Amino acid sequence: MIISQLGYYSLIFGLLTSIFIFFNSSIQLKKNNLVISDKTFGLIGFQFFFVFISFISLIYSFIVSDFSNETVYNNSHTTKPLFYKITGTWGNHEGSLLLWLLVLTGILLGFILKSRNEPNNYRLLTTLFQQIIIIGFFIFVLKTSNPFNEIFPVQTEGLGLNPILQDPALGIHPPILYLGYVGTSIIFSAALASMISNYVNKSWAKNIKFWVLFSWIFLTGGILLGSIWAYYELGWGGFWFWDPVENVSLMPWLSLTALLHCILTLEKRELFKKWTIVLCIITFALSMVGTFLVRSGILNSVHTFANDPSRGIYILTFLLVLVLLSFLIFIIYENKNFTQKSEIFTLSKETAVLINNWFILYFLSVVLIGTIYPIFLDVILDEQISVGPPFYNKLILPFLIPFVLFMSIGPSMKWIKTNFRIGVKSFLVIVFTLILSFITVYYIGEKNIFVLLLFVGFFYLLFKSLDQFREKTKNFAQIFSHTGFSLLLISILLNSFSSKEIVKNIQVGESFTLKNEKIIFKKIAVEKEKNYESIIGFFEVLDEKNKIINLQPEIRIYNEPEMATSEASIKTTLFKDRFITINIIKDQNFFNVRYQHKPFMIWIWISTLIIMLGGMFAIFRKNKEVNI
Amino acid sequence: MFMKSKKLSTIKILSILILFYTNFMSIALASTFSEEQTVNITKNLRCLICQGQTIHESNSDFAESMKKYIKSELEKGKTDEEIFSSLVTKYGQWIVYDPGISRNTLLLWSLPLLLFLIGGVIIANKIFRKHEL
Repeated sequence: MIISQLGYYSLIFGLLTSIFIFFNSSIQLKKNNLVISDKTFGLIGFQFFFVFISFISLIYSFIVSDFSNETVYNNSHTTKPLFYKITGTWGNHEGSLLLWLLVLTGILLGFILKSRNEPNNYRLLTTLFQQIIIIGFFIFVLKTSNPFNEIFPVQTEGLGLNPILQDPALGIHPPILYLGYVGTSIIFSAALASMISNYVNKSWAKNIKFWVLFSWIFLTGGILLGSIWAYYELGWGGFWFWDPVENVSLMPWLSLTALLHCILTLEKRELFKKWTIVLCIITFALSMVGTFLVRSGILNSVHTFANDPSRGIYILTFLLVLVLLSFLIFIIYENKNFTQKSEIFTLSKETAVLINNWFILYFLSVVLIGTIYPIFLDVILDEQISVGPPFYNKLILPFLIPFVLFMSIGPSMKWIKTNFRIGVKSFLVIVFTLILSFITVYYIGEKNIFVLLLFVGFFYLLFKSLDQFREKTKNFAQIFSHTGFSLLLISILLNSFSSKEIVKNIQVGESFTLKNEKIIFKKIAVEKEKNYESIIGFFEVLDEKNKIINLQPEIRIYNEPEMATSEASIKTTLFKDRFITINIIKDQNFFNVRYQHKPFMIWIWISTLIIMLGGMFAIFRKNKEVNI
Repeated sequence: MFMKSKKLSTIKILSILILFYTNFMSIALASTFSEEQTVNITKNLRCLICQGQTIHESNSDFAESMKKYIKSELEKGKTDEEIFSSLVTKYGQWIVYDPGISRNTLLLWSLPLLLFLIGGVIIANKIFRKHEL
């Protein structure tokens, strides 16, 4: 109880510090000091410290199950394992916003520490803009989503955490995702600061590149964890459904990816200044839109939004203010500070980056429009439509083919000007790609020219990326992320075309077959855990070589809150996953069994990790001066 | 005469074969649609009482009765389109994951494509216009 109070007052102190920092840095800016007092930067440390204390207090309240705290009462339970008590801290609206705030202040501290050699007014201005965001979120948390509200009389037991959130991957998913999401805030602040302080140049690009990569890596990781979770927890073996909640994380990822390529161009060639700044603003705006859409509840239905409009309206207004502010600054400083002398040759890396941005922004617009169009239609015309996978597949897949082809040849372009020659080797790569694509399409039995073209594109990208290993100056960052991306596309395509599934209602002792495999339902067992009871089905799978594979899917019946979840049992091999879930059929002795072959699943995860690895290479890569 | 009878017998054999074939095909088709066609339809339908799940994925009562309904409609010989449109009239466009092209969704489909074209024009301008940026 006292700890909860401490958390609350610590938040207030945090807000006061922020306001103080805001005015302090404005005054220092006016004085135009060349040397900035360490006080400002010390204050930023304090600000982070206050939020940190507040966050720790909330975690502590969750650990000791302090049910005088409303957030703990609503989302925790004494029988929950310790790990889920802790992850429950951010498994709810209030706690997750406190985490937002923690990352928001932490990132600023990190930025200040990492930018010691940058111009002081640039650092101060970045601090100033970041403070605007921080103060906005402080007020949001304190006014609409205080995690330290007290309830009286004190309850003896909490309401519990939604069982499908009680999962290791989803436990760490929010912090990782938020590091990516909120990381974009510092990119936004720094972009505005660099515009005003006339610092949009090579050194700025070098400075901000770290934060772009940082956000990009964590966002990729966060999306990966979310997908893995969806795959095994939601019980139907899918990992991406173009659900609005997923789209909302993909949008900033796409614009970060575009931004990443622009920043590199800015760093090497001082090109695309305006466009880079616009992308910085768009990226952060998309992160905010994501927070708005998820936190307001508008995604499920505009009608649930009406139940608690204050939160949504606050974020929306705040977002509008920030976007207006940034475009105002953009208009004022655009002509003043942006001069570009360099020209672009048709065959150059610059062109490749432009084309990359063109396609990525198109994909982004598809996802954005597909996500928000139904909301507008509902509000304006009161008509409800669903925009699901068919929409995205139709608009994205055909464009992927030219996209990956450009992506294949882009990296072998030189800065400024490229002289293309088509040698025997590149011809061999093409022939090899074609043969492999034909074999693949034949093997999966999808004799369709469009599918063939997709494979041709993806394999070509794979071989061209791997081919880069032979180059003298290897760019491991690019090789790894591009190779990973091509592997990802190939695995997704193979997975979607050769997944096999069978759904049966059977009793213990019965069996069924899928392809050459026999699946036998051996027995059922009931076990009692601390916070749930589980019904475990024991299955034996006899594969084509008569090898026995044991699978034990579960049905968990949680007690607080009362809810049944289905836990998949998965046996992963290099080439396919065997995936089984069971469900109870009401008032019958039968079980609903869903058995699936999911080919190349592990490669979807591995290739995403390779993409992230590419990002890490970029961070730790020595900044070699590239000869132009 | 001889020739004619041979011709007749060929026709006989052929007609028997065709009969057999159509019979066989109808049996074969009847057994295939219940699996794959049902899945194709149910994968495109929203489970109205679940959170972002298709009918195919869901095990809820609603989804189960829906699967049964679709199977029975297919057995009656209805096409996919007929089933979709009857469901849309009953539950609204919300139930179908494919928004389709209609008056309401014209902008949804065309806006991204329009943006792609605009982007293309801007970029072509940058790349092919020399000596100035």
